[in-house]
Amino acid sequence: MDDTTFLGFAKEDIKNAYSTVFENTWPLWLGGVFMGILVLMVFLWNFPWGVTGGYRNWIEWLGYVVKIKGEAPSLSPLLHPVSAGNAGIIIGAIGSALMSRQFKWQVASGREYLKGIIGGTLMGTGVAMTGGCLGGAFYSGIGVFSLGGFTMVIGVMIGAYLGLRLVLWEVESLPPSKQRIAKEKKGGFDWKKIHPAMGVAVFALAIAIMYVYSYFDEAKIGGLCLLGVIMGLVMHRSRFCFVRVFRCPLMTGDAEMVKTACLSLTIYALGSAVIKWSYLQPDTMGVYHPVGLGTIGGGILFGTGMILLGSCASSALWRMGEGNTKIIVGLFAFSIANSVARTFFLEWDLYAYFGPSIFIPEVLSWHVTLPLYALFFVGWALLANWNEESEKFVIF
Amino acid sequence: MSDVVVDKVLDLRGLTCPMPLLKTKKELKGMKAGQVLEVWGSDEGSKKDIPDFVNKKKHEFISLEDVAEGYTKYLIRA
Repeated sequence: MDDTTFLGFAKEDIKNAYSTVFENTWPLWLGGVFMGILVLMVFLWNFPWGVTGGYRNWIEWLGYVVKIKGEAPSLSPLLHPVSAGNAGIIIGAIGSALMSRQFKWQVASGREYLKGIIGGTLMGTGVAMTGGCLGGAFYSGIGVFSLGGFTMVIGVMIGAYLGLRLVLWEVESLPPSKQRIAKEKKGGFDWKKIHPAMGVAVFALAIAIMYVYSYFDEAKIGGLCLLGVIMGLVMHRSRFCFVRVFRCPLMTGDAEMVKTACLSLTIYALGSAVIKWSYLQPDTMGVYHPVGLGTIGGGILFGTGMILLGSCASSALWRMGEGNTKIIVGLFAFSIANSVARTFFLEWDLYAYFGPSIFIPEVLSWHVTLPLYALFFVGWALLANWNEESEKFVIF
Repeated sequence: MSDVVVDKVLDLRGLTCPMPLLKTKKELKGMKAGQVLEVWGSDEGSKKDIPDFVNKKKHEFISLEDVAEGYTKYLIRA
């Protein structure tokens, strides 16, 4: 370093930090640790983390605005807690993608869009049964000691297997789909040059939003949005995606995301035990995932759909933020299917058949639950590691 | 990397996760050890997924290059 003044030193330091955060992909486990901490903050701040309610709020508002739906949802998207968190994740991912120069409109082939619509529809219907997506029912479900989180694992595993079989059939039986890429414009202004500056502006805007909410006495919603922004950054930089927990052991044998999920869930569950056991929040808060048909049947639909879409509902937020158009199309289908299926299940009183929600420590006590959790995570990680070597569960 | 002789080119542009990785894996399974596969992809996630997979499965990841036309070229030795 030539410049040994404080300013010269600080400039070099900032350059190195920028490179670490935005030019190198973060290790997945680091994303898992950050996510575990962030979801605990969301839990303490308001309620266990989830994303589906936000999508439903948006589509139901859209339905109301275009006069398909007669009644407006009770909360505006600006004041809906899950909607605010989701918006935060998208904003954080856009900022992160811009600062790392990875923002790019990604167009797909026609068949990929069709798969996105079918996948989104299956996922949206499945989520209406499970009571949440992989973020809200699997991750938060297990994190807040809801037995439905575990039964969803069974359903999603089966669904992931079926989904992979479907795409393998596509590869082996159908002619390749017509390839498309977004053309880079020749000449004109090179927007990529100013992407990092635009990213800084996006993050500055996100902080300003928090102050606006606080000014209007809605700091709780503003806080959820800000936590979402940090989640968007973390998920984008580490490419954190729950689909990989279920897909990779069957497709390539890769165990990295399973181990990351186990690590992240250990942090989530430990923090959640502290919060619940000490009644910082009600102990049954967030426990609403039906054990039985709801999480297993819904999980199968969701698992099949997520392979076709190539994303779960939470990672779709950051993939949208980096310009993935297939995901945007798929999410429209997801939101519509979720709203329609939920209305149908409510009108026909079908939720009664989906199974009860069970708070594990209420049945087993905290003293038994916590060691069982530790055994489960260690066992799952060991099984995934063994499968990575032996490829016992890899299907092709 | 102009000295590398490519045995097969796989055009995966426009495909999104998990298709690029799935098709790359399937193609590599059908190739003889030492043959070189060139993959064209436009999915951002593949930049991590493909090298990670190749390195774990004892193939050789040769290179990754973003080309001006807006996609990425990967070179892999089976």
